[in-house]
Amino acid sequence: MNNTKLTVSHAPFWHDGDSLFKKNLNFILALLPAAIFGILQFGAPALGVLALSLSSAMLWEQIINMISKKPSTIGDLDSALIGLLFGMMLPAVIPWWVVVVGTFVAVFMGKMIFGGTGANPFNPALLGMAVLMLAWNMFFDFNTAYVNYEFSFTALAPLAAVKFQGAATELFPLNDLFMGKEVGAIGATFSLGLIIGGIYLILRGYIRWELSVSFIAGILVTAFLFYMASPQKYAGPWFHLFSGYTMLGAFFLITESASSPVQRIPMFIYGFLAGFMIILMRNIGTYADGTILAILLVNVVNPLLDNIRPTALGKDMSNA
Amino acid sequence: MIKRSFFALSKPGLTCDLLEPDPEAPQKIDVPALLTLLLPEPLDGSRDVLIQKGDPVKKGQKLQLYEDSIDYAVSPVSGTIKSIDTFTADDFSGLRTRIAIEKDTQATDQIEYPEMKHELSFAARHLNHLPGAPPFARLARTEVPVNSLIIMVSDTDLLTTTSQYMGTVHAATLQKGVQILKQITKVPKIYLVLPDRLQDRVRFDSMTLLPARLEYPETLPAMIMKNHLDKILPAGKTPEEMGICYIRAEAVVSLARAFETNAPVFEKCITLIDKTGTRHRVEAVIGTPLGQIFSQLGIQINELDRVVIGGPMQGFATFTPHHPVTPDMDTILVQDRKTITPLSDNNCVNCGKCIQVCPADIPVNLLVRFLQAAQYEAAADKCDLESCIDCGLCAYVCTAHIALSQYIRLGKHELQKLRTDV
Ligand code: SF4
Ligand code: SF4
Repeated sequence: MNNTKLTVSHAPFWHDGDSLFKKNLNFILALLPAAIFGILQFGAPALGVLALSLSSAMLWEQIINMISKKPSTIGDLDSALIGLLFGMMLPAVIPWWVVVVGTFVAVFMGKMIFGGTGANPFNPALLGMAVLMLAWNMFFDFNTAYVNYEFSFTALAPLAAVKFQGAATELFPLNDLFMGKEVGAIGATFSLGLIIGGIYLILRGYIRWELSVSFIAGILVTAFLFYMASPQKYAGPWFHLFSGYTMLGAFFLITESASSPVQRIPMFIYGFLAGFMIILMRNIGTYADGTILAILLVNVVNPLLDNIRPTALGKDMSNA
Repeated sequence: MIKRSFFALSKPGLTCDLLEPDPEAPQKIDVPALLTLLLPEPLDGSRDVLIQKGDPVKKGQKLQLYEDSIDYAVSPVSGTIKSIDTFTADDFSGLRTRIAIEKDTQATDQIEYPEMKHELSFAARHLNHLPGAPPFARLARTEVPVNSLIIMVSDTDLLTTTSQYMGTVHAATLQKGVQILKQITKVPKIYLVLPDRLQDRVRFDSMTLLPARLEYPETLPAMIMKNHLDKILPAGKTPEEMGICYIRAEAVVSLARAFETNAPVFEKCITLIDKTGTRHRVEAVIGTPLGQIFSQLGIQINELDRVVIGGPMQGFATFTPHHPVTPDMDTILVQDRKTITPLSDNNCVNCGKCIQVCPADIPVNLLVRFLQAAQYEAAADKCDLESCIDCGLCAYVCTAHIALSQYIRLGKHELQKLRTDV
């Protein structure tokens, strides 16, 4: 025992055992129901897109780490999650290079240039999506993407159909939307699966219910107000809730931790604001779905919001 | 180690251990041949030291470095001083001096001890070293008079039951000690903190009982102030600066024993948690190297294991198993290298778990960004660095495995330096 070298470190000497790896792994698990549904619905191309997206995102992080001579960090699965989320927002039919460019933008511009995992001011997957949509909007038309498919339901992307083609929302029964019987991105259509995954993450403490609930409230309240103003012109709140990226947004996009607040009231404001902006964009903007841009926009106000917080112990003393 | 529960909507439930019913007496550790006493004061090369290598010492002899030193140790054995040197302490408290004493097995003589006096100055000069580390030196200082004395029959950190044991098993002695304490200190208010679940096991008369919940960090001084005395600890202040002084049950018991026998007390009660999580209660003479305790209990210490002095949330890891038993050492925690969670240099991912657990409502996620950028003043002004009560919960839950407590400790230290430089 005489010269035994001991491990010396600072307190605390216990840890609750959680880690980035576990957090991201749980996210990926929670995404699986919706992802598998997408693969079943849209077939092998969907599987191809998801696999390519996930693997290329991890590869980009590895390459960037190697170039910048940093230790490898892909083991914590952060890029894997970005890749999977990104892939799930894409249509099943899309050129492979769009996927690879997209994950590059997401991983490199989305997080690596800011200093890696946790330092991203924006949701990386959304940043990747936004850049692609600005550059190659034609690949994101869900109607043309699936021309060669035969579906048992209305083969029109609900949001675009209602907004641009003036289709009646009756074409899209809520039940169908809820069960994923709609045209859309690989992983965004199966609302039920996303909700199950989301609730799982909330219960495990990996995402904050405050964000999801206020986001959904933002969507419902705003859409309801529009609908009340003009039921002919605007779709109802439940239609908005179960179409487009809404459910993916509510549980997996708005909840991205680095770009969202952590204090309770700010979380409520943040989530509600995002929901509100999405409906504004859908109803009066030029985009069919505003989820991506709306969340990126609230990412910008996030740092301001977290200033609303409780006074720390011993700070509100008049004599201090 | 308590892990996160599968469903983690609520806060982590870290509960301090409750003293077992009918606790067993501590196992006595043999007095070793070589003891080490620690002094918080470093050697000053330019001055003559009162004690030298080779000097004979007697049991009960007071050892101090200089005439005007406030700090002193009392030798638990008769023997010879083998060495005196200054070293950097492993708990960030700066330089310390250690005095190694070789025990003379023949010697039975002990120093004639001065008659016990019910005076604070006497206590500060002769009884500071007692097991439990009574704060007489602090009480003797008069800038901020102490108006409340809080006797802790509850343990602050997890796993340990030393204070509960000393306070309940020796309740009668404790009561006597409290009477002496009253006479010595003349502090108007004396409280006694007792875990609420021990209330029906022990009676204390003529004292205000503060029943503490065992949920960590309710047992920490700042939380006791807040929950029981309705006093909020101002940011950056210590309870002592507020005139509140905490004292371990063991210190009060030792005080009573010292008065009873008119002799110093050296036996320190320690809760030791071995690698398997089994709790041992031992009684070792102050100055005993930890290695002696380990070998007597058959605990094998291997390369890169961790020996923690103090509890899992607030203790410190020592770099050597030779570290001696000190008057304030309530807990020893031995961890196998395999169970040690590595820290990382990850960024904060803003998961918010630290915010949920912080009892001081500190925005730890923002604080750590300032601390990592070495902006200590901004950390204090904007992110309430000084409100932190060092509970360690943020680092315990941190998803990114950031050494949050270490950053905070360093931040406070640097801030202090910045402030004194101005
Ligand atoms: S150690 Fe962490 S959790 Fe505890 S008071 Fe300080 S900042 Fe808050
Ligand atoms: S627990 Fe760690 S990673 Fe999470 S917000 Fe706090 S400091 Fe950041």
